Amino acid sequence: MLMRLFAAIAVFLVPLLLVPTTSEAHGPTRQKVTLTTSVPAAPADVWAVIGNFQDMSWHPAVFSSTGEGGNAIDATRVLTLGEASGPTISEVLYKFSDEKMSYSYRITDVKVEVLPVTNYSSHLTVKPGKDGGSLIEWRGAFYRGYPNNDPPENLNDEAAIAAVSGVYKAGLDALNERFSGN
Amino acid sequence: MNVFRGIKPLILCTLLSVSASATTLAGSFAFVTNQNSSDVSVLDLDQRVEIRRIPVPGKPAGIVVAPSLSAFYTVSPDSKTVRKFDLATCQLITEAQLDGGPTGIALDPKSGQVFVSDWYNARIFVLNADDLSLSRNLQTGSAPAGLVVDPDGHWLASADRDANQVSLFDLKDLTLIQRINVGVRPFGIAVDPSGRIHAANVGSNSVSIITPKTASVIATVPVGERPYGIGFADGKAFTTDQYADTISVFRLTDFELETTIDVGEYPEGISSADDGKLIVSTNWFSNTVSLIDPVKVEVIGEIETGDGPRAFGRFILETPPGERPCSKTE
Repeated sequence: MLMRLFAAIAVFLVPLLLVPTTSEAHGPTRQKVTLTTSVPAAPADVWAVIGNFQDMSWHPAVFSSTGEGGNAIDATRVLTLGEASGPTISEVLYKFSDEKMSYSYRITDVKVEVLPVTNYSSHLTVKPGKDGGSLIEWRGAFYRGYPNNDPPENLNDEAAIAAVSGVYKAGLDALNERFSGN
Repeated sequence: MNVFRGIKPLILCTLLSVSASATTLAGSFAFVTNQNSSDVSVLDLDQRVEIRRIPVPGKPAGIVVAPSLSAFYTVSPDSKTVRKFDLATCQLITEAQLDGGPTGIALDPKSGQVFVSDWYNARIFVLNADDLSLSRNLQTGSAPAGLVVDPDGHWLASADRDANQVSLFDLKDLTLIQRINVGVRPFGIAVDPSGRIHAANVGSNSVSIITPKTASVIATVPVGERPYGIGFADGKAFTTDQYADTISVFRLTDFELETTIDVGEYPEGISSADDGKLIVSTNWFSNTVSLIDPVKVEVIGEIETGDGPRAFGRFILETPPGERPCSKTE
């Protein structure tokens, strides 16, 4: 699993490009990705595993997470990927509901060599599924990593979609294995 | 409500065909650019149904509906294309390829000029509304996005996102009147019924309100997270708060926030419709529009669209009784 994700991430490791970044600049077309998986576990049980903004240990690519503010709005976390010295992603929580079993966060800082996106926001939600099971839904909205016109291939819209899809798939696959008891 | 209202019945009667199921009610339609599926959904807001899906390649976002020209215009930033369609047939009339990053669009029907912002090159393209030929460029601040033309024909304004300012131009000769500092990263821009400019600041979660005559900010209203578009009805302003999935409502008299309404995910374009009796807002992630009663301030309906509805611009068409867009065959 870990290897698979890193293979996915490695594709997008690019030499440092001279990307002129004002931090909020972005490309012309916002992209969206929605991935779901069904698991044979009650929504409350799934939410108990993934419904804590400060604990992303369920995702195979996340080595560690440190943060402040718990699950309150504006809480922050820094995810370290792969190993102790791995790349990091800084995120902030902007919506959280135990009742709706959903939280929303956005990335405040990530290098495009790690995840080739800008202006990234995401929702993670658990909904009732079939036969008492759960549907886990992970959605992202983002612009490509290259904020200017005519992006290089590794920082274009397709690269952004592929990278985010890879991260979501790795996480949902891990949850699927976990709750299917395989 | 707008400058076209008076002349509309005269012109539209000749250009739009009368449908067989004509009623005595005036019609209200939305032309929604679906950026991710590269098309436009034409929605009948009274029947609450999509009546046409028009393919528009290149990820369209910007739109302006021009009833006095019996046309609507779209901007596709990915293919850098501006297109002109016939309102009566919804067929493509002509298209033009531009440089840079064409994004927002507005139209001055009196002079027959179309304005298109260039996100990447701090300028506005000035095009002939008839054949889309380029006549000149206007210089703006960095990353111009939303554009709005004064319904009374005096000015053109652009929201210059990365310059934190609004550029105000004199429509007479297209000279710069003033650059006006607003909040952080203004993107959407609109004019209220009293002729004031509202710029939605996505970076500071506020709306800056400008009096064009003095070119000054008279109020700054805090709204929900990432405000994007602004619409007006019943003496109120409605902003789409992209990250909050809400619409913030504030009064146009004292600029006090009244309430917020839950809508779909990533609300974007917003406008009044049905002669001010309806507010229509698109939900980019949910692929729907929300219909809001501006008096009761509640959601009263939803219509499905294509993928990624933006409707960035003036996207509502109001028609006289019995007349419908896209109803005429060539």
